[in-house]
Amino acid sequence: MSWGAIATLMLPENLLLAGIVLLIGVEILLRPPRGDLVLSLLAVAAAAAAALWLYTTGASAEPFPGHFSVSPATLLGKAVVLALSIPVLLISRDEFAEGPFHILLLSSLYGACLLLSSDSFLTLFIGLEIMSMPVYVLVLLAYQRPESAEAALKYLVLGGTASAALLMGVSLLYGGSGTLAISAFTKALVSTDTMARAGIVLVIVAFFVKAAVVPFHTWAPDAYEGASVPVTAYMATIIKAAVLLAAARLFAAAPMRGSIADLLALLPLVSIVWGNLAAMRQQSFRRLIAYSSIAHAGYLFYAFLGAGPTRFEAVLFYVLAYGVMNLLAFAALPPHADDAARDRLDNFRGLFHRAPLSAVLIAIAMLSLAGIPPFPGFVAKFLIFKNVIAAGYTLYAVLGLVGSYLGIYFYLRVIQLMFMSEDQPAVAHGKPGTLALGAALACLAAAVVLGVYPASMLGRF
Amino acid sequence: MFDAALLNIVVYLPLAGMALLLAAPAGQDSFIRRLTLALMTLQFVVTAYLYARFDPAVAGLQFETRLPWIASWGVYYQIGLDGYNVLLVLMTAFLGPLVVAGAFTAIQKDVKLFYSMVFLIQFAMLGTFVAQDLFLFYVFWETMLIPMFLMIGIWGGERRIYATIKFFLYTAFGSILMLAALIYLVLSFQATTGITSFAFADLYQSRLPLDVQCLLLAAFGLSFAIKVPMVPLHTWLPDAHVEAPTAGSVILAGVLLKMGTYGFMKLGFPLFPDATLAFTPAIMFLSVVSIVYGACVALVQTDIKKIIAYSSISHLGYVMLGLISLNLYGIQGAVIQMVSHGLTAAGLFLMVGMIYERCHTRELADYGGLARILPVYSVFFAILTLASIGLPTTSGFTGEFLVLLGAFGAAWQQYEQGATLPLVLSATAVTGVVLGALYMLWFAQRFLFGTAKAPYQPFGDLDLRERTILGIIVAAVFLLGLFPNDAMKKTELAARQFQQLVSTSRTGVRVAAERAPASIAAETSTPWSANARTGSTP
Repeated sequence: MSWGAIATLMLPENLLLAGIVLLIGVEILLRPPRGDLVLSLLAVAAAAAAALWLYTTGASAEPFPGHFSVSPATLLGKAVVLALSIPVLLISRDEFAEGPFHILLLSSLYGACLLLSSDSFLTLFIGLEIMSMPVYVLVLLAYQRPESAEAALKYLVLGGTASAALLMGVSLLYGGSGTLAISAFTKALVSTDTMARAGIVLVIVAFFVKAAVVPFHTWAPDAYEGASVPVTAYMATIIKAAVLLAAARLFAAAPMRGSIADLLALLPLVSIVWGNLAAMRQQSFRRLIAYSSIAHAGYLFYAFLGAGPTRFEAVLFYVLAYGVMNLLAFAALPPHADDAARDRLDNFRGLFHRAPLSAVLIAIAMLSLAGIPPFPGFVAKFLIFKNVIAAGYTLYAVLGLVGSYLGIYFYLRVIQLMFMSEDQPAVAHGKPGTLALGAALACLAAAVVLGVYPASMLGRF
Repeated sequence: MFDAALLNIVVYLPLAGMALLLAAPAGQDSFIRRLTLALMTLQFVVTAYLYARFDPAVAGLQFETRLPWIASWGVYYQIGLDGYNVLLVLMTAFLGPLVVAGAFTAIQKDVKLFYSMVFLIQFAMLGTFVAQDLFLFYVFWETMLIPMFLMIGIWGGERRIYATIKFFLYTAFGSILMLAALIYLVLSFQATTGITSFAFADLYQSRLPLDVQCLLLAAFGLSFAIKVPMVPLHTWLPDAHVEAPTAGSVILAGVLLKMGTYGFMKLGFPLFPDATLAFTPAIMFLSVVSIVYGACVALVQTDIKKIIAYSSISHLGYVMLGLISLNLYGIQGAVIQMVSHGLTAAGLFLMVGMIYERCHTRELADYGGLARILPVYSVFFAILTLASIGLPTTSGFTGEFLVLLGAFGAAWQQYEQGATLPLVLSATAVTGVVLGALYMLWFAQRFLFGTAKAPYQPFGDLDLRERTILGIIVAAVFLLGLFPNDAMKKTELAARQFQQLVSTSRTGVRVAAERAPASIAAETSTPWSANARTGSTP
């Protein structure tokens, strides 16, 4: 394969890399630096467009055999991840003026793209780390409250533990199979060898930590609350999407049976139930979204109970619908001089009377996250539970649906506070910035398309 | 083709109206009210045209639209009118403008949002009725919750938040299990026939073992029974009704509750005939309990809205009894009773709203002798009360009489085969008629007659707007009571299809003897109306 072909197949990654280099150049050469946002937006949009273009050409090749490959499915996954980060950049303008944010975000995205294309555990690990490392810093960047430091540390330590578990699991798998190819994982799934099983469990645990599945979820509420809004939005959507898509790639179409299937059903089920129950007691919007994302991690891992070929599509549709909705909520969240006051739920009282558009947009996001039709969250959930029932796990599906029912209450509570409670004119929420509003409306448009015509994203590969 | 487009227009007109309202400038409240009323009236006119064009001789769907929606799942956008939904669609479109006009003075807060929500719920309700695809049906079914949740929660009374969350959580619980059941149903249909389809018409052919049918019917039935509501799942209803604004109560009682009985008629029973047969005694028992319990509880209420709320539980018990009788009279009576209850309950809730706007209390004890203070109001109230009781010439009589006739017809057949329970239950249901007369008349007596008293006197009698609304409802009540033939003819084929679907076993094993009366085929469509006038009235 010629270098030109390789460069073309890795165009999304290369465009991101070019963006990073240019951003660093701007940072060094221009005083004060400017144009960061435009540059990073251009880089991400171009990378997303490139991924989409490669997808439409049906590109399917291995630029680095055994390590890095592209297929229509992975390209669509990359396009989704990259497109989801555009609203994050848009809402970041009011929070981060300086360069490091953009450089770190683009680096993290580069890791996510690598992760989605990885064929060996080596690339997988590198991708995962390149994606996670910048986020440890992002949580702490431009922090507005002292707890942010604690949150970042917690995230770093637990993220490091996950990496350690992954490495340990990979070494065990390597020891058993003698290969670093991720196909060793699917082979080990059907083996009864103790070492293979231990390796699998360790790898799954690493993914559970990264995706915040109970009982490995404790970092999420603190990190989500401590980080600034765009970073929380990034963690809740893009990181989660990339981790789950990588897991879907890892599991591929391997049959799920026995105790591994139970592990992949029970912990996500507990996650759904606990995430939804704990969310009821939260007083902060970001913590609420954190517990909601813990529950959603549960639904997402449910997709792995479905038959092999259905998994990637179910996960992809879900992360897209879920990501769009989360970003909508964060983009519509009206700014406030005090970061803690911004997302205190009590301050949401009567928001409809102060900021009707924000309130309506957040309400739509909440209903979609709750899985109420006609919003896309419903179609996404429907697809996953349809696959789970089709695979014969009817009882788990019913329990998961009942667990999702528990979540309805706290989403409704947000709506109730915004629409049905007395106005709190004393809370001086600012007006959402133009770019944030634009991001919100773009998310809304995407949500309408996904909700009204889900077929636009189904059966695509 | 043109008519099919018109049906789509009927469904989407409210959505367009909502978009218009959201785009309208703030502070134009009276313009918004008029625009809403105009669009709702237009919608009713189009629906009435479609109703007139509806051909009673055609079995199956008319004005059908069928387009691929989610092709890879076998989901179609399929809507159409048939004998099951044609009356309910007409009633929903009929109540739309009345609800809007009824809220002209009552709603002064967030007017734009309010009428947007009225449009949204109208859209969702019409969509639920016309949907012929299970996925589409579920989407509309759930969409209904959102505007109602906001309507009760924003414009409701003191305990509105408790009531609205209770409403949402009750109904959503049923829906969640229905979702699991519908996925299972479609997948097992796919497994046995190789066809992936959500279309009702296809799923009516599904064959499932009895135990699976029972579980699925339980899941669907729970969802529908909560909506009806059937005792003991009714506790959300009084709270929702009491706290809801008048428009919310009218929509709730007028249309939303019919979703439950419509669901049983269109989905629950025909999809799972063998399970229906197995559950018949239980469903019959719960229907009769609903009739009697609702009536008894209504008797002791002191809140006007609660009396009507509990009377709704009782009246919908008749609908269930008629449906489960599987007798053509009973089924047609149930359909008429649905529409009749929609009209009378809507009228009564509107009247409660009118008096509440004047006196700001719903305590029955605060009122008395209104006949002397508000003569026009009292006349309308008396007519609607009598219609609710089921006085001959009103729609209530047509419905209840046919239901009881059907229930007895079916029960007698079974009695002759040695089963006495249905006969006992049918006889018990008749006491509901007596109790119904008792609580409504006693209510009217305390409300309208006796010493004249009312808080905040003096206040004016009904104005022209209120008289027009009530006049239209009363006219419809009499129209359906005196000339039900047209409505009966248009629903007859569907009733026969329902009867045939539910009484044909689809496990290959027949679990019980034939229950439908053999003489049904010989029935003409009108024998009862001649008897009806001379028949005894409770």
